[in-house]
Amino acid sequence: MSTLTFEALGKSYGDTEVVRDISLTIREGEFVSLLGPSGCGKTTILRMVAGLVEPSRGRILIGSDDVTRLPPNRRGLGLVFQSYALFPHLSVTENVAFGLRRRKVAGAELDRRVREALAMVRLATFADRMPRQLSGGQQQRVAIARAIAPRPRVLLFDEPLSNLDAQLREEMQIELKRLQRDVGITTLFVTHDQGEALTMSDRVGVMARGVMQQFAPPEDIYHRPATAFVAGFIGRPNRLAGRVVRRDGAGGRVRIGDRVELAAAAIDLPDGAAASVIIRQEAIRLAAVGATASPSDAPDRVPGVPGTVLLRSFSGARVQYVVRVAEGVELVAETGSQGAAADLAPGTAVSLNIPPEAVFAMPPEEPAP
Amino acid sequence: MMPVRHALLILAPLGLVLAAFFLVPVLMLLPTSFGSYVPGSGIAKGVWTLENYLRIATDDYYREVIWRTLGLGLGVSLASLILGYPVAWLIARGPASWRVPLILLVVFPMLLNLVVRSFGWIVLLANRGLVNNLLMQLGLITAPIKLMFNLTGVMIGLTHIYLPFMVLMLVAAIRNIPRDVEAAAATLGSSRTHVFLSVTLPLSAPGILAGSILVFVLTISALVTPRMLGGPTYKVMATLIYDEYVQLLDWPSGSALSFALALMAIGIIWASSRLARRWAGMA
Repeated sequence: MSTLTFEALGKSYGDTEVVRDISLTIREGEFVSLLGPSGCGKTTILRMVAGLVEPSRGRILIGSDDVTRLPPNRRGLGLVFQSYALFPHLSVTENVAFGLRRRKVAGAELDRRVREALAMVRLATFADRMPRQLSGGQQQRVAIARAIAPRPRVLLFDEPLSNLDAQLREEMQIELKRLQRDVGITTLFVTHDQGEALTMSDRVGVMARGVMQQFAPPEDIYHRPATAFVAGFIGRPNRLAGRVVRRDGAGGRVRIGDRVELAAAAIDLPDGAAASVIIRQEAIRLAAVGATASPSDAPDRVPGVPGTVLLRSFSGARVQYVVRVAEGVELVAETGSQGAAADLAPGTAVSLNIPPEAVFAMPPEEPAP
Repeated sequence: MMPVRHALLILAPLGLVLAAFFLVPVLMLLPTSFGSYVPGSGIAKGVWTLENYLRIATDDYYREVIWRTLGLGLGVSLASLILGYPVAWLIARGPASWRVPLILLVVFPMLLNLVVRSFGWIVLLANRGLVNNLLMQLGLITAPIKLMFNLTGVMIGLTHIYLPFMVLMLVAAIRNIPRDVEAAAATLGSSRTHVFLSVTLPLSAPGILAGSILVFVLTISALVTPRMLGGPTYKVMATLIYDEYVQLLDWPSGSALSFALALMAIGIIWASSRLARRWAGMA
């Protein structure tokens, strides 16, 4: 157990900078995710920590040891790969024992620690199997047992759940989180799945194009995105072209189309600037016009935005609507599949309640026309 | 799964060619191998005998040639493996820009005619050849070392000729090993040497086996190179068969030897594929 620190860590391939001067410290026992689209540099960071890629600039410290130039075998890390990367020619037991043997653990102590690690991932009865006799989820659990058995100072996960099907992935998220808390090993988890990062982590680092956009607890990442990229990447955003009407502290008012004006919690632009307005789908409340919304639903009633339902799609737990709020302006609104708002037919006139906290105005990605 | 009928259709063209030009002639040789050769008049009519086969099993000269052939096969396979593995590893794991030049370098000798390549070795290895002359001029030896017309010469020549086959098989096998598996071993505390010995080498076993079988079978059936570098006296099975047919006109003996050689090759392929299946069970 140790801290993990990056000091102005960077990596370039030729002229291409894939990781730009990242500095951060992961506390002892903390679970940190690096989140971002593919090609954002998150895997490169992880591979630099593991010693598989050499940094171009900066330092990596585990505890107070500078490991920047150490070969992977002398860093004392556990790494779990997306591809599992089990040793196909060794049994489950021998896979788990591999790292222990390298640390000169032998005899009864070796047996005990292999059993202990397999019990932690609930695979005790599979000890004598070969990897190819296991399912994907079981193989990944062996890989996790193999990584934690030598009690590494830092655990690294490289998209370990992406090859599993959705249901198993959610099970494993909870299991991994519990396991990490039990063993208390400092963990760096790389993923492109925001749900995964938000559920499991103490803090999340959102990355884009090699730059750390925001490094904060999941709640801050979700509710207080620091950059346009984060606001647009997290949650389910509507992204609309608009204009800043008036700034008011951090927030203000924005206009979409000609008539629709909304309060926004965060505006990153001067008055009158063209903006990319991001509205979280899941934060929009909608009600049929004329229906009496329960008072608790909207405590401080802001006048709703009128609109018409164009499309309804049901996906089990959630219902999504496409709502036209003005000529050429369409929003996606998402709601639970129970209650009055869950059953609005296309054509219904609705009133949208859009809380300011779910509205962000950011510089448009392309220059406005 | 593909229906058997389709699979047979796909195999049909090759199957017909092999049947017509390989299987039928071989089967026609079978009766010949049980015939009796009478010097001066040819194959005796209506006489059937096991004598040709018994002689192969009992005659000291034949047995020596058989053991020599097998030993040569083993030696050439081992030498190709030892020389070829580092090259194959470099092609599979080295800098990407080296890959094509290295493969070309390995394959290039195959573009030259077998006779030319073997003759090249005669120029190098003869008593007054380049190697002996150089060694004598350097004063390292006083009389020429015998490098030809013996095991050394044949082995050098055959290793050179069959090395590319081994390398290409090994490259395929090594490139098949996921890099993540090697990286996993490294993060678990393995030094580069230990990663190689505990992961890369065992996982390339199928390629080692396939390459060795290929080189072994090619070696024990090679004719031209042993003929040129072994000379008229240092014989292996292929050259012996050739002599029985062409020089002595003893077709029955030659046929029996051919079948013995084919059976040995089949036996070795069978044994190795069983071994491979056991290994594949692990990999």
